[in-house]
Amino acid sequence: MGSNMRGVTRRAFAIGCAALLTASQFAITAAQASDYPAKDIQYVVTAGVGGGSDILARTLAKVIQEKQLIPVNILVENRTGGSGAVGYSYINAQEGNSYTLGGVGVSFFTTPLLGKMPINYKNFTPLAAIARSPYILAVANTSPIKTIDDLKAAKGLKIGTAGAVSDPAILAHITNKQLGTDIKVVPYDGEGEVIAAILGGHLDLLYGNPNEILEQVKAGTLRPLAVTSPERMTSLAEVPTFKELGYDIVHTQLRGIIMPSGVPAETVAYWEGILKTVAESPEWQAQYVDRFNETPLYLNSAEFGAAMVETSARYESVMRDLGLAK
Amino acid sequence: MFEAWGLLFNGLAAASEPSILLAIFIGSVIGLFIGALPGLGPTAGVAILLPVAVGFDGTAAIAALGAVYYGAQYGGAVTAILLGIPGDASATMTVIDGYQLAKQGKAGPALGISIAASFVGGLIGLLLLTAFATTIARAAIAFGPIEMTALMIFSLSLVSVLGGRDPLKAGVSLFGGLWIGTIGLDPIMGVPRFEFGSIYLFDGIEFSILAVGLFGLAEMYATAPVSEDETNRARFRFRELLPNVRETLRCWRELISGSLIGFFVGVLPGAGATAATMISYAFAKRFAKHPERFGKGAMEGVAAPEAANNSASYGNMIPMFALGIPGSGTTAVLMGGLLMIGLQPGPMLFQTQSTFVWTIFGSFYIGNLALVAITILLTPILATAAFVKPGFLFPAVMAIVMFGIYSIDNSMFQVLLAIGFGVVGYIMMKLDYPPVPLVLGMILGPILERGIRRTLIGSDGDVGVFFQSPIALVIFALTAALIILPWWMNRRARHAPADHPELTPKVGP
Repeated sequence: MGSNMRGVTRRAFAIGCAALLTASQFAITAAQASDYPAKDIQYVVTAGVGGGSDILARTLAKVIQEKQLIPVNILVENRTGGSGAVGYSYINAQEGNSYTLGGVGVSFFTTPLLGKMPINYKNFTPLAAIARSPYILAVANTSPIKTIDDLKAAKGLKIGTAGAVSDPAILAHITNKQLGTDIKVVPYDGEGEVIAAILGGHLDLLYGNPNEILEQVKAGTLRPLAVTSPERMTSLAEVPTFKELGYDIVHTQLRGIIMPSGVPAETVAYWEGILKTVAESPEWQAQYVDRFNETPLYLNSAEFGAAMVETSARYESVMRDLGLAK
Repeated sequence: MFEAWGLLFNGLAAASEPSILLAIFIGSVIGLFIGALPGLGPTAGVAILLPVAVGFDGTAAIAALGAVYYGAQYGGAVTAILLGIPGDASATMTVIDGYQLAKQGKAGPALGISIAASFVGGLIGLLLLTAFATTIARAAIAFGPIEMTALMIFSLSLVSVLGGRDPLKAGVSLFGGLWIGTIGLDPIMGVPRFEFGSIYLFDGIEFSILAVGLFGLAEMYATAPVSEDETNRARFRFRELLPNVRETLRCWRELISGSLIGFFVGVLPGAGATAATMISYAFAKRFAKHPERFGKGAMEGVAAPEAANNSASYGNMIPMFALGIPGSGTTAVLMGGLLMIGLQPGPMLFQTQSTFVWTIFGSFYIGNLALVAITILLTPILATAAFVKPGFLFPAVMAIVMFGIYSIDNSMFQVLLAIGFGVVGYIMMKLDYPPVPLVLGMILGPILERGIRRTLIGSDGDVGVFFQSPIALVIFALTAALIILPWWMNRRARHAPADHPELTPKVGP
């Protein structure tokens, strides 16, 4: 019976091959697309549940499932530890595996630069970026500082950062360099602690995600001074960008998706298509971009890859100044 | 404030809807189990349930997640008392007296006092949350790095009473804990410290792993080679499986002080429930009539930390509800949950989502009552575990412990680390080094370090700023009083005729 079955399969395979040989280029692509994905996709999140990159992963999986863009499930799995090193090492070990996705967070760049992870961004395949998040420099509403010029004139200011090696920390150092100020950088363990310290008058400034800052701005507890996006944010149209004020402080966190190295070009193209559809869908706009006050964006694999090089270089230059990069 | 009670009444009514009651019940039971499972604590519990819960109706989802959080505080005590293994980090102090009670055959009363303490702590925490959330939140943010430093120095001076007989050994243990607390990324400079090239030590050592090894595994290593006759710890008596009301009522002082300390330490950003239990235990022992009973099975030693950790879990939620900022790891995950169900947590949450907030508060009251009922019913069944022969019990417990620890990170490294801490704990036990100062150092040390370093960055290294904050000055004065007063009273007592020797306060080492 076994050999019979095998015979049938072999015949079917032979017919399939013949059909393929005579088919057009388009048909080949279609056949391959329908072969992939053949099983569930694993999406590795290198941080814990409920954090920024985790929410991104789960919302992305939900939108893809709702729109039925792929015939299989996306299973989100948190592999935490080692400031991202555990999760990214795991993805890296899946070389050539087209069934593993990962998200790019700040630790994707900074942990390799600390010299504690033998791999870096070059060991992964960029797929696409599907949103981005600028940072807002803000003060307590009771602060006498109202503009960046006030900031430059003030003395003895303290800026709180969520984490010692993080976007807000890197931005704080870039700000001192660009503005020629001497603001003291005080690292905290999380955004919540920083906002609490600002409200309590223990700190003067902070850099925060729109998601965390906008509610406080609406409630009148924080006042935004400037944003780090290349152009003004629609939700804070009256707040200038650093760029238009004449300072080279442009930095946004790209919400990008990666795969291990060695995946076929067709797989990359496949995911570029899916992620473009997601990025431009009203579902994504409503469930992610609007809800978390991020900026809509789509970058394809090549563009996202170029952005990764640029981002890593920016981290490296600041971390070298601080004596952190190895 | 009076308006608050009206709103709460509406909230209680809304939370009595069957779907929400079911969510509370499911969340409470899951919380109990996750709390009881060594290794997994409330943060992991809320995180595990989050992706599932947000699939349901928003209010029910958050009611369930909240129930997991406070349910875990009830559950953590169960393993701490019955097996001597802290079910989660904030149940570590409960082990000290709870496990002694179980060994003496008083598992039932010990579980009873932990339930009563959890309930009283929860209730006091809830009442304060309901009535003064916004006021307390405003007061809590007055605690900056300077005030936090002062509070930690005060706490460390309080815990000096926890050292045991030999001050030198207690000191060694404390410094060991302080050192372990420095492992991982330097919180200020960002460089890794003492990580020995391992990526698994990069983020530091998880406290629950240390606590499980140092207390639970060490005790099992020590008991395993002892013959069955010797381990026949206590005779089985049905009465001892039941909670004891009279003994519970006797601990009213510790219940109230534990609840208040737990709540106020819980509100402070960056302090946490575990620190709260340590301070409340030390406080209870410091001001006890018979401090020498602590560590040998004092009911008060269970009451104080259990009241504190439940109360702290509500204190912890205050920055989230009143200011829109997460005060701890668990509330950060809860805030993620709010975002995922489409609610924007922020300082305006009370105004914009009033019905939601009060329904959730209502669900907390109901959940607390439900947990008391569930745990009291379970007590006789659970308490029999204390009478199971170690030969049967330990292999099963060992397996559950390993499973719990493995599931934190899906990592064998953490399991090996726990086993290693078990060996350290065993050696410490044999050489008579007290383990409590070590866990204190590991929890309080990092908070103290952050406080000092953040202050000194801000002041350009000027130490004088520590004495410019009125709050810090008051705390420093209390610290000084705490150290000098017993010494002075002791001296006076020695000069006076010693006709009441039991009134002489015991001096900490």
